[in-house]
Amino acid sequence: MVELKNVNVHYSSGVDALQDVNLRINDGEFVFIVGGSGAGKSTLVKLMTREITPTSGRVFVNGYNLAKVKGNKIAKFRRSIGMVFQDFRLIQELNVYENVAFVLRIADQSTRFIKQRVPYVLNLVDLAHKARSKPKELSGGEQQRVAIARALANDPGLIIADEPTGNIDPRLSYEIVELLKDINRSAGTTIIMVTHEHDLVKHFGGRIINIQDGSITFDDNIGGSDEDE
Amino acid sequence: MRTSNVTYLVKKGISSVWKNLLMSFASFSILMVSLLLVGCSVLLMMNVNTIMKNIENTNEITIYLEEGVTDKQLEHIRSVLDKNDDITEVTYHSKEQALEDFRNNMAEYSELLDYLDENPMPEAFLVRVNDLTKIRHVVDTINSIEGVEKTKAPYDFASILIEIRNTFSLIAGAVLLALVVVSIVIVSNTIRTSVFARRNEISIMRYVGATSGFIKTPFFVEGMFIGILAGAASWGLTWLVYDSVTSLFSADLTLWQMFGFFGLIPFDDIMWIVLAVNCCAGALLGAVGTVFSTGKYLKV
Repeated sequence: MVELKNVNVHYSSGVDALQDVNLRINDGEFVFIVGGSGAGKSTLVKLMTREITPTSGRVFVNGYNLAKVKGNKIAKFRRSIGMVFQDFRLIQELNVYENVAFVLRIADQSTRFIKQRVPYVLNLVDLAHKARSKPKELSGGEQQRVAIARALANDPGLIIADEPTGNIDPRLSYEIVELLKDINRSAGTTIIMVTHEHDLVKHFGGRIINIQDGSITFDDNIGGSDEDE
Repeated sequence: MRTSNVTYLVKKGISSVWKNLLMSFASFSILMVSLLLVGCSVLLMMNVNTIMKNIENTNEITIYLEEGVTDKQLEHIRSVLDKNDDITEVTYHSKEQALEDFRNNMAEYSELLDYLDENPMPEAFLVRVNDLTKIRHVVDTINSIEGVEKTKAPYDFASILIEIRNTFSLIAGAVLLALVVVSIVIVSNTIRTSVFARRNEISIMRYVGATSGFIKTPFFVEGMFIGILAGAASWGLTWLVYDSVTSLFSADLTLWQMFGFFGLIPFDDIMWIVLAVNCCAGALLGAVGTVFSTGKYLKV
């Protein structure tokens, strides 16, 4: 569960990035967070991943009070969530298998577990056949699927996807969101997807949170066009 | 942490040495030269100390006693000397013994002594001190004993030796300190280059929940590995240098013996200690250099 209570973020540059934000996302939900450039989406992601702490208010994610989490507990908290980025953030020197295994090493998993888990998650994203490929040998969509596999490796209860379709062509964007939807439906993983692509949001529908000038201006469910089809 | 993951981090650190080969080689070279100089200085210091000890052991204070000193006074003087912790050896020389010594030392004039009506030589004690720096204090104490006429001590000799040792220690200390600082700076720069090359990976590690220890360990391994390699290489070079110096010195041992030199410590006696010290010092310098670069440039 993700919960923000009366959250304000004021940067030293004088910008009020978030103002009195109240938000609750329950376990198993799939939520789109939309908004224009500079609306406060990135600040919201940074709060939820404990990159920053709020100037005032409280942030709870997966049972952690993020204002109070410090040191190695931050690392432990981050292992409880999965992150997917716009620029994939894969390690270029490592192959697909190693990029996923890497996260499990960090979580101090055994080699035996890693050998079982990595092929399993690569199968989920349909990339088992590319396990030995380096990221530069893959298309943008494939690289993003590796990033999703990496996010799934630790079997997190929550995946935060920050503009995951921003660097891939529109046709593949639908595949990526479809994959995230599948994960949400099959495993009950909570998914928060930040995007500025309104067409994508309209297509899939569901709970939409709109942020504008640091405030939530819309938070409701809408029907997607894929449901109409 | 699991053994398999520790192995993974160690492998990662060592592989980073090869990936960062040019900077690693620069660090290795500087560390090797530093450790070579450190090793040679320490060996030189050990030998100087041994030589000094040998020379110190030859120091001798002669205590001449007053004419007509009584047996009671003689016993009192002996007991005061025996009780003094700074004195290691006490030898009594009677008037007869002193005359005999004189006769032996001046054999060509010995017949002149036959013309003497009485023995002019004074009774004396010969003592040795365990520490040349205390020689003046010991002499002052002896002079205050009743029955002591005068003393003769090698002050100049002692002060020269002390001066040599202090100066040598000071220069060696300053050189060692400078080398240690230079080595740390070089290692620190190498690790900083490595941190920079892996900045993308480090940022990903942070996002996926790596602890500070997990991120920093490979850099420590890298720094310490370079240090250990440099330590081992400098050990080999120290061996070569030391062997050459030993053979050079032993070629003219008689000359050196005049200065109280009784041979260098054989390298075989200390080779494993030198290897261990060099590798440990290299690892320590590598680790300290890493602390500076990771502490300052790797905010996790």
